[in-house]
Amino acid sequence: MADDASVRFPDPHEFLLPDELKDWEEMYPSHHLFSEDRAEWEKQQFWYQDKIHAPEPVPPLDHIFQEAWQIALSQYTTRVFCIPPAQGIAQRMVGGYLYICAIAPPPDEIIGKKAQLFEKRVFYVFEHYEELWDKWLKKFQALGKEMAEIEVPKEMPEFVPEDQVLPAPTGSYVSYDLIAGFNKLVNNMIKGWQYHFEMLNLTYLAYLMFADVSRKLFPGISESAIGKMVAGAYVSMFRPEEELCKLARKAMENPAVAAILKGDDSPAEKVSALSESAEGKDWLAAYDKAKNPWFFVSCGSGWYHHEGSWINTPEIPYGYIKSYVERLERGETIERALDEISTERDEIVEGYRELIKTDEDLKAFNDAYNTIRTIYRYAEDHLFWVEHWYHTIWFSKIRQFGKLLVANDMLDSVDDIFMFNRYEIPELLTEVSTGWALGVDIPMRGNYYKAKAAKRKKILEAAREWNPIPALGVPPEEIAEPFTIMLWGITTDKVKEWLKGVDASADGNLSELKGFASSAGVVEGPARVLKLLKDITKVQPGEILVCPTTNPSWAPIFTNIKAAVTDIGGLTSHAAIVCREYGIPSVTGTGMATTAIKTGDILHVDGDTGVVTIVKKVDEA
Amino acid sequence: MAYILNFKELDKTSIPSVGGKNASLGEMIKAGIRVPPGFAVTTTCYEQFILGTEIKDDIFGLLADLDPDDVDALNTAASRVRALIIEATITPEIADTIKEGYHQLCRQCGLDSIPVAVRSSATAEDLPTASFAGQQDTYLWIEGADNVLNRVQRCWASLFTARAIAYRTKNNFPHDKVLISVGVQQMVNSRAAGVMFTLNPIDGDPSKVVIEGSWGLGETVVSGTVNPDRFVVDKVVMETSEKTVSAKHIECIFDHEKAEVINADVSEERQSVCCLADQEVKALATVAKIIEKHYGRPMDIEWAIDGTIDFPDNIFIVQARPETVWGQREKKSVLGNKSGYQLLMEQAMKRIKIP
Repeated sequence: MADDASVRFPDPHEFLLPDELKDWEEMYPSHHLFSEDRAEWEKQQFWYQDKIHAPEPVPPLDHIFQEAWQIALSQYTTRVFCIPPAQGIAQRMVGGYLYICAIAPPPDEIIGKKAQLFEKRVFYVFEHYEELWDKWLKKFQALGKEMAEIEVPKEMPEFVPEDQVLPAPTGSYVSYDLIAGFNKLVNNMIKGWQYHFEMLNLTYLAYLMFADVSRKLFPGISESAIGKMVAGAYVSMFRPEEELCKLARKAMENPAVAAILKGDDSPAEKVSALSESAEGKDWLAAYDKAKNPWFFVSCGSGWYHHEGSWINTPEIPYGYIKSYVERLERGETIERALDEISTERDEIVEGYRELIKTDEDLKAFNDAYNTIRTIYRYAEDHLFWVEHWYHTIWFSKIRQFGKLLVANDMLDSVDDIFMFNRYEIPELLTEVSTGWALGVDIPMRGNYYKAKAAKRKKILEAAREWNPIPALGVPPEEIAEPFTIMLWGITTDKVKEWLKGVDASADGNLSELKGFASSAGVVEGPARVLKLLKDITKVQPGEILVCPTTNPSWAPIFTNIKAAVTDIGGLTSHAAIVCREYGIPSVTGTGMATTAIKTGDILHVDGDTGVVTIVKKVDEA
Repeated sequence: MAYILNFKELDKTSIPSVGGKNASLGEMIKAGIRVPPGFAVTTTCYEQFILGTEIKDDIFGLLADLDPDDVDALNTAASRVRALIIEATITPEIADTIKEGYHQLCRQCGLDSIPVAVRSSATAEDLPTASFAGQQDTYLWIEGADNVLNRVQRCWASLFTARAIAYRTKNNFPHDKVLISVGVQQMVNSRAAGVMFTLNPIDGDPSKVVIEGSWGLGETVVSGTVNPDRFVVDKVVMETSEKTVSAKHIECIFDHEKAEVINADVSEERQSVCCLADQEVKALATVAKIIEKHYGRPMDIEWAIDGTIDFPDNIFIVQARPETVWGQREKKSVLGNKSGYQLLMEQAMKRIKIP
């Protein structure tokens, strides 16, 4: 399909952006921009918008996560575990949005070499998974601790303290610590993302293998049934919510504590009220104990600084606790029935097993199932530790640098630091060190940076209003890269749907969207379209959530919504997992849902077949 | 041997005396499946009928030395045999037994008089090499003991259609060895009906129940005169993975004025309404699973939904037989004798082609 003009998306080099986005390029490093010197190659690739990791425009400093995963994910496929015909995933930025491309397979000679290494390296991982996971967790927790302990100078002192000079000068001072601290922080983040993919590529590969085995035995088996067989019940990503449940239960032990927690006061007022009694203090101690690591969880996906985290947005955990206390008082159960989920999964697997007709097939199925079950926990557990816990530490450290820059009149507000990429920040910090070293009354370029931050905020604001096209370039003839298929759900059909959607949404008459049937059930209800994660508080009970992608850290909202529809995401995307866990229908990877659907439209969501129908348009009502 | 037997007394060992269809209904009742109540008129009863009315010798005399390729002779003999059977006066002993069977059935249903379906159930029907399926008669919506008796007689006569006679003669199957039983069963007031398979007949997927249904009696679906609504349900997770609602332009219903079953037009509006509620689809799939498990093989099942009864008591199974296309295939390994690692390696080498 490569040369047919009717089945291609706009050329990445001839694509026009709105005027308001002018100069967006300066926010990102040069290797992330479509460039004339690489044009020939770039024009032949298929670039699709990565709404999983970048549903919104990417602020310059948050771009570090994208840079880090491009390298980490790709290297495990190409150079570490060597998945034979697969290459890495390349990234480009367009108008603040991230586009990615699964690179075509390498020459046969390379595939052959990789196959040999794959066998040797990959099977070992499966055989030693438990041991490797323990090692991984220890290693990762140590890395997070190291990051938390990086010292960020609180101020630039008038004179260095005495103890750094006498009896022997330390030799390097705050001017160095400032830059070294930031570099260390960046290095830690890059390293954390290298760890992130340690076993993830293999996990996805194993999932695809098991899905293929299931489909050979049961040609019509649904993706959600496969997901149900594989998913775990006791996964780290659900711990934050479980901790909230425990805290709500603890509050119920004392009516006074419960009364405070279900009141409408701010978290700060609640904390001070609780501090007045022994029982209240006891509850606060339990809260603090749960906090690290379990409340180091992003209010969104963990990919954006502005999402906030439970530790700096106490309104979120306290809000959830309030509603849990109220539900407990009504006699409801608030916990997810973990044992039931686990039993149900075992019953489903047994149900399919019973349908297998030959002993050979039964053995192969069991073997395939054990292979995926061995490693699948990794997909579910790494998420909490990296995107949530680790990123939360990162954001708070970066803000310490932000404070220092504000104190030194380089920025107007702390979060303006996120308007500069990781290569630019050392420049700002060097400026501070230089000014400090030069003495007093030294002119600084603060106004230059403040103006730059203001301009970039405007560009990002404009980018938010802009609806980027789902893909650029030429759809590929084959896909071998496991993440592309599984996480982003990019298949031939998906690409065709997008191509159709590009035309239909232009006419404004797209009334049916197809995606993955990722969680079973059929419902009808009003849509709530959320493009920005911070708008989650607008969701009303009984609405159908329509968003670029959902995330498990939104967990408690899932007890309120009827269904979830996402633009991007395969069957093991975060959205799919949570919806299955909560037993609400979900269609993921529709490509165009947030464009085609408006808040208030009445939707029919069929999680059994993966079809979302707009039953009634809000403007027709 | 008794002249009549309640379905409840039957199981698969009863085939010689009540035929395949009736035995299968008894078997399902024993397995806890909701089957409309009824009774079988046994082969003994049929044998006694041709003996008692003294038509036996005449029948087999007419059939002796027939040339199966002589169509005229065949037709003449067939209609004369059938006339003998239909016009014979049933001996009072037999007539009273069948009539009492009907009255008992009415009492079992708690009504003075109920409409019934009267169907033949041949003993040789389920022999794959001597398939007579569809060659015997079915009479729907029959009410009153005398009418039932009359239709039983006609069912007996249906053993001697020209085609059946020719078939048996060609295959050297002695006419006096083929016996017939008749089933008398309460009529389901069928709002919707159809068939279902305990596997997907298209790809043989053993994890699916495929249901096809339409308005009215199941005859339109069985005969293919309408495009039925189609549902594919996963047996394990019980999700409906496919649901196709077709325009069902006619329905087979009982016309009370004409006192016969007719194909009536369906209003345009109702044509595209799904004939089953979601809960009915799931309930049917559940019954299909029970039936398959009971028989230990893939099954082909006829069902009906009674429009006068509330869910879930409205779901009836009216027939079940082994599925013959996939069910008879040799069980072959799909995956081959492979380990998890071999399968993983295969996956790793795979490229997904985009045509």
